[in-house]
Amino acid sequence: MRDVIAGIRGRLFILMCKFFRRNIKIKEGLKIYKRLSIGGKGMVSIGSNCIVDGIRGDSIQHVTIDAYSPEAVITIGNNAQLYAARIAAKFQVTIGNNVLIEESGITDTDFHSIDRSRGNPVDENRDKCQINIGNSVSIGARSLITKGVAIGDNAVIAPGSIVTTSVKPGSLVFGNPARTIMQGQSVSE
Amino acid sequence: MFYRKALNNIKISIQDPLYFFQSLTAFLRGFLYIIYYNFFTRNVKIGFPFKAYAPVRIIGPGSVSIGKDCSVYKNVFRGLTIVTSSCDAVVNIGRKCALGGLTIRCSKRVEIGDCVMTATSLIQDSFFVNYDKTMSIPINKPIPEPKEISIGNNVWLSMGSILLRGCNIGSDSVISAGSWCFDATIKDYFLAIGNPVKKALPIEKLQRLKGIS
Repeated sequence: MRDVIAGIRGRLFILMCKFFRRNIKIKEGLKIYKRLSIGGKGMVSIGSNCIVDGIRGDSIQHVTIDAYSPEAVITIGNNAQLYAARIAAKFQVTIGNNVLIEESGITDTDFHSIDRSRGNPVDENRDKCQINIGNSVSIGARSLITKGVAIGDNAVIAPGSIVTTSVKPGSLVFGNPARTIMQGQSVSE
Repeated sequence: MFYRKALNNIKISIQDPLYFFQSLTAFLRGFLYIIYYNFFTRNVKIGFPFKAYAPVRIIGPGSVSIGKDCSVYKNVFRGLTIVTSSCDAVVNIGRKCALGGLTIRCSKRVEIGDCVMTATSLIQDSFFVNYDKTMSIPINKPIPEPKEISIGNNVWLSMGSILLRGCNIGSDSVISAGSWCFDATIKDYFLAIGNPVKKALPIEKLQRLKGIS
């Protein structure tokens, strides 16, 4: 019953986007269990069979996708599972297929400069700041991914970690700032 | 002894009527929570004097038991939330705990001792909460399986700390703000610092260095 309602809500959302919001492109099979809100003037494209949900018992339960500037591009692949994820882009965010994201933030800008005026950041461009997330990556709860990060395929990011440098494929990453551990190596001594 | 305690309470209530009113509402709210969870839901047991200053939310099929004399304080406008994801999940909380802003996401077993003090911290014994739903997607990578968490008596979990799977924390120890534990064993009366926690410091040594006996 719950799945059927989620499927109907997804179809209604896709229809709404077709008529009123031309910058959003969503393929078939979207399921919305909790709220999905998409804002901004940039291009947003989501692949087929995606799931939008929130973590049970949490206070924040909706997925937000924001393409701030008109040249922003956000692409999400097929079979993505978004649990209370927050994605914001000024330039470009690309996410691959079979991705699991739980209650974490992905942003490719700082929104303000460190100057006293707190104006727009000067030294940011598309090549420097774009985020690439590979196929079948899973990102844990309460983690953050900052600008200019590329995450390889099959990587696992532990809950509560803050990723500032790019991650090799197939590695387990944790901590603040995030670092990798090899297999069989213990974390604490 | 009892009369002296009652007299003291009456004195406090005359001096500060707002405190008296708040504690009374918390006691009544806690009593309603006890009636609701003990009689209308299965597998949840709460001991009798239970003060709820903030909302309490217990969801899921697993069994939860909270001891006597516990209280839930407001911490960054959040109360206590316990979510159990499977039928085998067990959450045991001891007596006289001050639980404010704590969230527990349990899929196997979480044991918490007596007199534990918490702030807005997270206890999660699995790596991903919605891991069962992802089984439809082919995953061939080593995600660590859920493991038991045990916390001793008189532990202080301070703000923003995260305890993940396989944590063993001894009694009287302190987890500092913003620290992050994963597969860590911390001995009795130690201070854990860092994200991630690599080395815990003995509190007796720290006090001797600072000149506090």
